[in-house]
Amino acid sequence: MAAVRRNILNDATARQKYIQGVKLLKQEFPGPTTSDLGLDGPASPVSTYDLFVVWHHVAMNTFTPPTQRDRNAAHSGPVFLPWHRFMLILLELHLQRVLDDEDFGLPYWDWAADGDLSPDQQVASPVWAEDCMGGQGNPVTTGPFAFDKVDASSWRVLLYGDTRTGQLLRSDRGLQRAFGQTRSPDGSLIAPTLPRRAQVATALDLETYDAPPWNEQSPGFRNQVEGWVPANTAPGLHNCVHVWVGEDMLRSSSPNDPVFYLNHCNEDRIWAAWLQDNSPTYVPDQTEPDVLRGHRIDDAMHALLSDPLTPRQMLDVEDFYTYDNLLVS
Amino acid sequence: MKRSEFARASTPESLVEHVGRNAPVLGHPYGGTMESIREATYRGHDIVIRTSYHIEVDGAPLEGHLGVANDGQVHYHAIPNLRFVSTVDLVKQLIEAFPEDFQPRSGGHAHREEP
Repeated sequence: MAAVRRNILNDATARQKYIQGVKLLKQEFPGPTTSDLGLDGPASPVSTYDLFVVWHHVAMNTFTPPTQRDRNAAHSGPVFLPWHRFMLILLELHLQRVLDDEDFGLPYWDWAADGDLSPDQQVASPVWAEDCMGGQGNPVTTGPFAFDKVDASSWRVLLYGDTRTGQLLRSDRGLQRAFGQTRSPDGSLIAPTLPRRAQVATALDLETYDAPPWNEQSPGFRNQVEGWVPANTAPGLHNCVHVWVGEDMLRSSSPNDPVFYLNHCNEDRIWAAWLQDNSPTYVPDQTEPDVLRGHRIDDAMHALLSDPLTPRQMLDVEDFYTYDNLLVS
Repeated sequence: MKRSEFARASTPESLVEHVGRNAPVLGHPYGGTMESIREATYRGHDIVIRTSYHIEVDGAPLEGHLGVANDGQVHYHAIPNLRFVSTVDLVKQLIEAFPEDFQPRSGGHAHREEP
């Protein structure tokens, strides 16, 4: 039976199991070490959870094609939605294994519902309560991912994407968040509020999935959801959520924050709603030039922790999961 | 796609096998070239624009991947959800958002822990 992905605020069981599951994956060390991953210093075991952090960072730094610095193997191109669906499915399967529950579905955070509230209400949303994702801070000190320096089992960021070197570096610190507080050098807030339902509706109205030049400047649904359009404006949808949560969610290692998966699960739900109205449509197809390798419908997507899948395989995933509700706007 | 076709991927043994198979590609430095290549075709002509950057902060190089889009905006993969109209603004934003990444590091070893 396919799992059902539910709103984390409406299902206490999904909420509790998600928290339990990611903590179990954080404490599971299947064998690979930092040395196996090419990181400097003494070899340290890497948890299953942190292997997903590494995968996201590496995919982001794998350029497609390698001659340019725009489109990468997971972002800024057509594969953005199918690659993250691939990542979420694999994480969900591992969560089902450690929870011993084949019916467990990743929960989603309907951030657009919060986006229609006042900025103060957004920060006070139940998603940030003690029994859900906890609050903000440097480090986070409330909820299930609170940092406690003397408690080795408390949630720790052990690998992070360093902005100076662009590399994954080691750390041993707590999770960091600053809701709506990411500022430009001129002091202005970059994403003071979460995206609104009306912005999601605008994306859903687009009939084209993606289009040339197949990058951050493309018209179409993918780029609207990823958040690069309209150009020269504040970050949209997906990008806006990353920037609004701030701190660790700003880095290439953003899966360090379990909120990463709640965010992407909601974007996947928006894609599912769009696919329902637009039939299983995906572009580009294999007639497009090799310069788009990694983004075409039958190309192997970037894989680190499993065999690769293709975007075509991500168009029908009802055997894996369904959503409790596709009313996204 | 059927769940049964992918079920083995969720085993710890599969993780070990695939990381072992794919890890060698991770051994390469993630940083490196700061050259950005823009390509376009216009009226049958192929346009290639190569832009090289060498950025320093306090005398130390900024080593992540920086790219230029065809609209001239720059982005930096270590802060992936934002892009900028100027490279100076981009570097200012990095320092603004991650001041701890720009603190001096003893012995050149970047290992950051909670104080």
